[in-house]
Amino acid sequence: MSKLVAYVAQYGILLVFANVLVEQIGIPIPALPTLIVAGALARDGKLSMSALILAAAVASLAADGLWYALGRRFGNRVLKTLCRVSLSPDSCVRQTESIFERWGMASLVASKFITGFSTVAPPLAGAMGASLPSFLFYDALGTVLWAGGGLLIGFVFHRAIDDVLSFLEGMGTGALYLLGAGLLLFVLYKWWQRRRFYKALRMARITVDELRALFEKGEKPVVVDVRGAGERQRDPRRIPGATTIDVTELDAKLPGIPHEVEIVLYCT
Amino acid sequence: MLIERGYRKVRPLAGGLDAWIDAGYDVEVFEKAS
Repeated sequence: MSKLVAYVAQYGILLVFANVLVEQIGIPIPALPTLIVAGALARDGKLSMSALILAAAVASLAADGLWYALGRRFGNRVLKTLCRVSLSPDSCVRQTESIFERWGMASLVASKFITGFSTVAPPLAGAMGASLPSFLFYDALGTVLWAGGGLLIGFVFHRAIDDVLSFLEGMGTGALYLLGAGLLLFVLYKWWQRRRFYKALRMARITVDELRALFEKGEKPVVVDVRGAGERQRDPRRIPGATTIDVTELDAKLPGIPHEVEIVLYCT
Repeated sequence: MLIERGYRKVRPLAGGLDAWIDAGYDVEVFEKAS
């Protein structure tokens, strides 16, 4: 057995636990590759599949449980903070709320498969007042499907995974540099995406003083409150005259708005 | 999505509703049914 495989086989359960915990806490180190490798080693009899699933489930529930509790305690403030530090700013509070409102607690299951949403969904469930038993059930179900899926991929394609591990073993310490460089590139790419997103947003956005000035000049921009229904219920205040348009009713509501009119969108 | 549907003058409000409220400007309240 190669040293690398022996190392992963020895610490595989711990690696899976740590990687899933770290990813679910919100640090962008994807656990899926680890799960796939662990699944391949399980197929080769070097790791226990049930122990791997248990490790992933415990790690995920621990991290998600913490976010759920913070969501219950601090509500939307947790979500806003998460979105602010997220490497995927496009998965903002409104989008996640919209998914949650449409699918309810079942979205916790799907969230495991959506980058960004997997960390935001548990505090959102807490902020929306989901009961603890319901949260635990759907979160555990999602974790088992997600982690089980990753392990199953490794289980099925174990020969290819073994080849990759042998290749990395042949590279010696170079493999670590390669993996490290890959991870660094991934984080840099997400950071660049975030910078580009905020730059575009800064160029296009309107300030509250500019909007107020438009009102005072007698211009009538269409102001659209794009918060989800749940958020509007929690804070029913709105900018005077603002309307609401849900993504699902865009085509129904837009015909009443001329194309030349200025549209100002806001959330929280 | 609005731009894809032909709307060219679409701008997000910097700071959102929180910034509007923090600036001390008037707000309305949605009715419960909304």
